[in-house]
Amino acid sequence: MKLLIIEDEEGLRESIEEYFNEAGNICETAATYPAAITKIEMYRYDCILLDITLPGGNGINILKRLKSNNHTDGVLIISAKNSLDDRLEGLDLGADDYLVKPFHLSELKARVSAIIRRKMYNGNNLLVFNEISIDLQAKTVSVHNKSLKFTRKELALLIYFIANKGKVVSKNAIAEHLWGDGIDLADNFDFIYSHIKNIRKKLVEAGANDYIQAAYGMGYKFTGQ
Amino acid sequence: MKLLTLYNRVNIITTVIVMLITGIIYYQAISWILNDQNDKALKVEEDEVFDYVNLNKQLPQVFESKDQQISFTEAAPNSIKREFINTDYKKEKNEYESGRGLISSVTVNGKYYKILIVESKVETEDLIQIIFGITIGVILFLLLVLLIANRLILNRLWQPFYAILKEIKLFNITDNREIAQTTTSIDEFVELNQAATAMTGRARHDYKDLKTFTENASHELLTPIAVINSKLDTLIQTENFSDRQSKILTDLYSAVARLSRLNQSLLLLVKIENRLLTDQHSINLRLLIEEMLIQLEDIFNDKKITITTGLTDKEILASPYLIEILLNNLIINAVRHNYNGGNINIQLTAESLVIANTGATVALPDDKIYTRFHKSSSSDGSGLGLTISKQICENFGFALNYKYQSPHHYFTVKF
Repeated sequence: MKLLIIEDEEGLRESIEEYFNEAGNICETAATYPAAITKIEMYRYDCILLDITLPGGNGINILKRLKSNNHTDGVLIISAKNSLDDRLEGLDLGADDYLVKPFHLSELKARVSAIIRRKMYNGNNLLVFNEISIDLQAKTVSVHNKSLKFTRKELALLIYFIANKGKVVSKNAIAEHLWGDGIDLADNFDFIYSHIKNIRKKLVEAGANDYIQAAYGMGYKFTGQ
Repeated sequence: MKLLTLYNRVNIITTVIVMLITGIIYYQAISWILNDQNDKALKVEEDEVFDYVNLNKQLPQVFESKDQQISFTEAAPNSIKREFINTDYKKEKNEYESGRGLISSVTVNGKYYKILIVESKVETEDLIQIIFGITIGVILFLLLVLLIANRLILNRLWQPFYAILKEIKLFNITDNREIAQTTTSIDEFVELNQAATAMTGRARHDYKDLKTFTENASHELLTPIAVINSKLDTLIQTENFSDRQSKILTDLYSAVARLSRLNQSLLLLVKIENRLLTDQHSINLRLLIEEMLIQLEDIFNDKKITITTGLTDKEILASPYLIEILLNNLIINAVRHNYNGGNINIQLTAESLVIANTGATVALPDDKIYTRFHKSSSSDGSGLGLTISKQICENFGFALNYKYQSPHHYFTVKF
């Protein structure tokens, strides 16, 4: 997939670029409003990560420009402004999603994957990873065409892992993804462990590979190609 | 004491005293004048007696007059001193009135006589009484008029004052309502009004500055937190960590998560206080609570907390975003301050939402729990949860109350 990261904060821009830079991905970056405009005038992207506050202009105008030119690039707004108006304005103008800083890269990746999935496989709601296939519409999981019973959270977690395959995902990121960032129960992530144990058990019993590995007690990694 | 009462009291006391003094002086003056009148009449009578004696060389005949009596009695020569006296006037037998008399003397044909001329003072006294009566009447009437006038004038005069006072009472630093200008031509009140407006303006300005500062500071913090977060996410991809390093990384994650939540909470508070989240939607609280309980199931299970509910349908008009935060805060608090194997009871009725949880066996300090950054020593929260909850409730005109009734802590939202 081809991504454009429009973000003026160098540290953040580099991290995102590095996280997304893997085989099959092309990441371009723009640090200022004029640079971003130049890019979107010349190239098309699968997904554009758009910061709202940029030197030289407002990110919202970039979104307007894209839409007025009928470009169908996916747009995910990343903003420090967690104001409801902003969120609504962005989504009203045709942004696909809105993510508030600070966020976990794994969360960003999951959101971007979802946007691209919607764009590329229009109408096809099947997410396939090797022997595992997930029907996103019906919210069912099957392995080797054998249907499995997954709870809502287990399913969410599996999709999250697949989107971040090959990456170590921290427990904090998983907790925030599953329970929202309102969860403030500190360092007790035992409940994550029990979900992961369940997912592993169900997948392995159905004959799938054991893709989920614990990573140094910090998080988990979904391995495999 | 009300200004009017105090003013009336001072006013009436001084009026009565002044009137009393005037009355006494008045009475004395009139008495003196009328006495003088009487004395002149007595003197005229005396002169007449002298004239008569000079002319006729004998005492005049004593005849009964309606209000004057003269008597002559023989006395030792030069024993009589001429003087005016207050005496009784014998009207009829055994009936006396007060009178004024003149004692004088005359010598007729070598005989020395004492003359006593007495005049009735009844009419004079009647006159004094009437005058005094009228005076008292006037005083009372004047007092009455003063009372009414004071009330009317004061109420009207002080109208601008009460208007300004009402405005000041209505003043709320968080809303943008200006102190209304009261139209008055009284300099003092104009000045008061200006001072009140200036003062509230200054307070509001300072408050706004403080809020802007909080907002900006929180905003500025977001980017570095975002960078730290993303760098941590990148760092853990490099793998090959020792146990010690992963422990450090885990701690870092927790600290950043906490910092980030704290920051979000501060921003949220500013937004609620600035009334920036004003969207209103109809929300079915029962459904929302049920959904949340499912969402948080793992967390209850983790602490082996039993949830019991009694939920009736309740629709409210509010911001779903804020209501979710409110419910989340209250429920998470009920979990966090609970013990393993404790219980939580949630009751939703048309009037209120009550969340009761087991926990520490001492009541929380009711006056402190809503202040920013107040938290129990064992709490690992931000110390802003209840402050935010309270603000959200106030935002929608709900009341948030706490009570402890062993073994449960109760938080009640009254709609």
